[in-house]
Amino acid sequence: MKKVNLKTPSFNLKTLSKNPYLQFILFGLVLSTLPILASQFSFIKSAYITTIGVTLIYAIAALGLNLLLGWSGLISLGTAGFMGLASYISAYLTVDMGLPFEVAILAAILVPTFIGVLVGLVSLKIEGLYLAIATLAVSEILRKTFEEFEAFTGAFSGKAASFPVLFNSIQLDRATMYYFIVFVLIIIMLITYNLVNGQMGRALNAMRGSEAAAQAMGVNLLKYRLVAFALATIFASVSGVLYVHFIRYSYPSSWTLKLSLDFLAMIVIGGVRSIYGTVLGAFIVFAVPDLFLKQIPYFSQLSYTLNGILIILVIMFYPNGIVMIFRDIKNVFLKLFKKGNGNHVS
Amino acid sequence: MLADNEVLKIENLSIAFGGLKAVDNLSFEIKKNEIFGLIGPNGAGKTTVFNCITQFYKPNDGRILFRTKEGSETNLVDHKVHEIIKLGLVRTFQNVELIRELSILDNVMIGAHIDFKATILEQALRLPRARKEEKALRAEAEEILKRLGIWERKDMLVFGQPYGILKKVEMARTLMCRPSLIILDEPAAGLNDVETLQLAQLIRTIRDEFDCAVLLVEHDMRLVMDVCDRICAISFGKFLAKDTAKEIQKNKAVQEAYLGSSEEIHHV
Repeated sequence: MKKVNLKTPSFNLKTLSKNPYLQFILFGLVLSTLPILASQFSFIKSAYITTIGVTLIYAIAALGLNLLLGWSGLISLGTAGFMGLASYISAYLTVDMGLPFEVAILAAILVPTFIGVLVGLVSLKIEGLYLAIATLAVSEILRKTFEEFEAFTGAFSGKAASFPVLFNSIQLDRATMYYFIVFVLIIIMLITYNLVNGQMGRALNAMRGSEAAAQAMGVNLLKYRLVAFALATIFASVSGVLYVHFIRYSYPSSWTLKLSLDFLAMIVIGGVRSIYGTVLGAFIVFAVPDLFLKQIPYFSQLSYTLNGILIILVIMFYPNGIVMIFRDIKNVFLKLFKKGNGNHVS
Repeated sequence: MLADNEVLKIENLSIAFGGLKAVDNLSFEIKKNEIFGLIGPNGAGKTTVFNCITQFYKPNDGRILFRTKEGSETNLVDHKVHEIIKLGLVRTFQNVELIRELSILDNVMIGAHIDFKATILEQALRLPRARKEEKALRAEAEEILKRLGIWERKDMLVFGQPYGILKKVEMARTLMCRPSLIILDEPAAGLNDVETLQLAQLIRTIRDEFDCAVLLVEHDMRLVMDVCDRICAISFGKFLAKDTAKEIQKNKAVQEAYLGSSEEIHHV
C-alpha cells in the first residue's frame, strides 16, 4: 500500500524532469500568474509587474550574452548598445513612420545584427580583454549616437513609443504586454535549449574548449563566431524592442556600460551555460535591488555593491552560478530519498 | 599519383620557420589499413610534419596526396583546416583536447559535427530532420563507445575521468567521422605501462574493426615497435630510413640519430 502511494508522485516528477519543454512551459505559466497574484493579493504590488517585466526582458538579452560568453567563450560588453539601437529603431518605425509592429521588430533585429556580425568578424583577430574593449567601444559609439542624433532618437529627452499592436488588430496594454514578454522569453529559452543541446551547441563548446580541436573536428571557426555574435545580437535586439514597447521610453542613459556589466553579472551570478540560471541571475541583479533593497533605508543605492559582493561569493563557492545551489539541494533530497528507499538508484 | 593501395602520399614536403628548415624534402606513403609510425629524436620535425598534413601549417613546398572517402585523389594543401576531416582524415591531440564540461557521449558527438545536414534554424526549432540526425548519430556514437568498452560511462562528464579513458574518448571522437586515416599525436604520452599495452591493442582494434589506416607520431619506442607495420625515421627534418620495425632498429643512420655517432662520442 505504501509503495503505491510513493509511486504516483515520483512517476509524475520523472516525466516532468525528463521533458524540458514541459518544464519551460510550466515556468512560463508560473511567471504569467504573477500579475494575477498581484491583483489578488497585496504582497506583490502591481507596480512590481513593471520591474519583473523588465527583468524578464533583460533575461532575454542575458541569454544571448550567455551564448556568447558561456558557450562560445567570447566576451562582449556591447549588449546594452545593441539593445538600445533596436529600441530606437522600433520606436522610430512605429511612431514616426507608422509601420506595423511586426515590420518594426524585423528591422530592429536586422540592423543591430548586421553590426553584431561585423563585430564577430573582428573577433577572429582579437580575443579576451581586447575583444571586450572593442565591443565596449562599439557600444559607446552607439550610445553617443543616441545622444547626438536628435531627429532619430530625441537625444536626452528620449524617444517615446507605445504599447504594440499585434497583427494590426490586437492592442496590448501593460498587463497583456507582460504576458507577451513571458511568451517571448519562453520561446527564446526553448530555442536556446534546442541550440545548445544540438550540433551548434557542441560546436560552440568545442570552440571554447580548444580552437585547434574544434577545427580538427571540422568546426568552421569563422562561421560559428559569426553565428554566436549574430544570435547574441538578435536576442539583445528582441530584448530592446520589448523594452521600448513596455517602458514606452528609451533614453541614452539607459544604454550605458553599467547595463552591459549588469548582463555580465547576471550570467556570472546566475549561472554560466545555464538557461534557468540566466533568468535567475536577471532577478538577482535587477529585480532584487529594485523590489527589496529600495525598501530598506540606506540600502537603496547599494545594488552595485551587492552585485560585486555576490560575484565574489559566487565565484568562490559556486563558480558555475547560483543555479547550482538548486542542484545541490536536489542531491541532498535524492540522498535522503535513497536512504529511505534502500535500493533506489538514480 | 597515388597507387591503388595507398591512402596518403607525401611528396618532397618542405617547410621552414625563418631560416630553420623544420622539414626538408620529406617523402613517404601510407598504405590502406596500415599502421605507420613516424619517429625521430626530439626536434626532428615530427609534429611539424603532422601539422602540415592536417593543414595547421601550410608547407612551403611539396604535395600531400590523399585518397578521400569517396575514393578520389586530392592534394591536402588545397584545403582549409576544418575541411580536412570531411575528406576522411582525422587527428588526435598530444594533450587530449576534450571539452571537460560535456559528457563523454557529447564529446564523441562533436566528432560527428560534419555529418549534420540540418541548418541552425532547423536545430533551433528541432524540426524532424534535426531530430532524426541527432538520434541516428547518437546511436552511432553509443555503438562506438560500446566497441571501445566505455559505454557505461557515456553520461559522465569528461572532467575527472582517468587519462586512459580520455584517450579512448578522443579515439571514439575521431571514429565518428568514419575516417580512412587517423593520425595519432604521441598517444602514449602520459600513459603507464599497462595503459600503453592497452593502447597498442586499441590501435590494432581500430585498424581491424573500423577499417582505416593509422599514422602514429610517437616517442615511446616500445609502442611504435610493437604495433607499427612500417616506420619512417626522420632527424632534423630530413628522411633517414623507412622500413619494418625490425629493420629500422638495425639501421645505422637511425641508431646514430638517436644515440649519436661513435665519432661524436669520442669527441666528448
